[in-house]
Amino acid sequence: MKQHKKGLALWLAAILLLLAGALLTGSPGRTETVQEAMRDAVLHDVNRISLPGFKAVNPGMISALLVTAVLLLAAALIRIFVIPKFRYMPGKFQMLLEEAVGVFDGMARGSSPHRSGFVGTYIFGVGSFIFVGTLFELLGAQAVTTHGHAVTLPAPLSDVNAAIALGTLSYLVIVSGGIAGNGVKGIGKALKEFSLPISMSFRLFGALLSGLLVTELVYYYVSLSFVLPVVVGVLFTLLHALIQTYVLTMLTALYYGEVSEPDHKEKRAKARKS
Amino acid sequence: MPLNIDWQQILLHWMNLAILTGGLYFLLYKPVKQFMAKREEYYRSLDQQAQEKLDQAQRLRDQAQEKLDGADEEIRQARAKAQQSVQQSAEEQLARVQVQAQQILTHARAEAEHDREEILRSSQRELRRLAAEATKRLALHKDPFDQFLDLAEEEASHEER
Repeated sequence: MKQHKKGLALWLAAILLLLAGALLTGSPGRTETVQEAMRDAVLHDVNRISLPGFKAVNPGMISALLVTAVLLLAAALIRIFVIPKFRYMPGKFQMLLEEAVGVFDGMARGSSPHRSGFVGTYIFGVGSFIFVGTLFELLGAQAVTTHGHAVTLPAPLSDVNAAIALGTLSYLVIVSGGIAGNGVKGIGKALKEFSLPISMSFRLFGALLSGLLVTELVYYYVSLSFVLPVVVGVLFTLLHALIQTYVLTMLTALYYGEVSEPDHKEKRAKARKS
Repeated sequence: MPLNIDWQQILLHWMNLAILTGGLYFLLYKPVKQFMAKREEYYRSLDQQAQEKLDQAQRLRDQAQEKLDGADEEIRQARAKAQQSVQQSAEEQLARVQVQAQQILTHARAEAEHDREEILRSSQRELRRLAAEATKRLALHKDPFDQFLDLAEEEASHEER
């Protein structure tokens, strides 16, 4: 009991010391106003990062590449060290992996029963990207801009280019499903949903950007940097990651299933022939 | 471009997503799905085997039941046959006994008839002898009536003894 009290007292003392230190040290001086920070969070026209072999890119691009590298590395390690040891009675980690694959596979089968192989693969890839990419902002990874300032790398999809890329790519996947399922008619079906790429892109961008702006705002002021980030930073981001992953993958699978579904008339004709 | 949209970066993101999707497919999605399918197949085959064994057991049970039913029928037939045989035997014995009884009765009747006739003949003979003797005594000695009475008394005392 005494030990517990001692530990508690030490913990509180450490918190008070750190708080005092943070308040006494003060800010090193702001490099930008809150308006500039917010504007840059939306437009990415100031803080850019040099990508070797390319011109300077938005921090979101670097985040996207890092997320991809982390995911592929993790997947390679799992493939080499974990999957060969899979058992028929799964352990916890195996269950987690099977659940992750099963969720996207099930979503693809459920939404597009006629043609689920490719869309399952696609939504698994982008779902992992959105989920891990959204959680990536929690790490607070730093990068140096072309101006020599350190910036925290944001979630990849808070960059409008990444959101547009994902939205349009998902739309192209849907169009490809239409072509594979119904040929030229499928293109027509997919083109009827011409607003999809825009809605998908800007839904993602808006959702992620709003999260980013709130976080920027919270972290901009020292007085808001206690306790509040636990809710804003961790819980909201986690929930956010789940919701955005679910929404985009579900929409993609749903539209893919709709446009790739064989025509009823064709179905009847085939049934009659057979 | 408005909103700082950069087509080059969009293409870079596409490339990035294509690499990620392909990489995850070959490294994670496909192997895990294959394993899940393999396990499903394994359990399906186990289920199938169990079903086959269950069917076989059911067949054996049916066969056993059939045999049991056959045995019951055999037992029933044997019991009926045995009952029939016992009944027949009893009837035969009864008939035999009846015949024997009839024979014994006939024989007894014949013997009784014979004895009665014999006794009757013997009594008639005795009566004749007595009558003859009485007649002879009457004729030779006493008053025949007295002699007859004496003789009758003598005969009665002889019988009492």
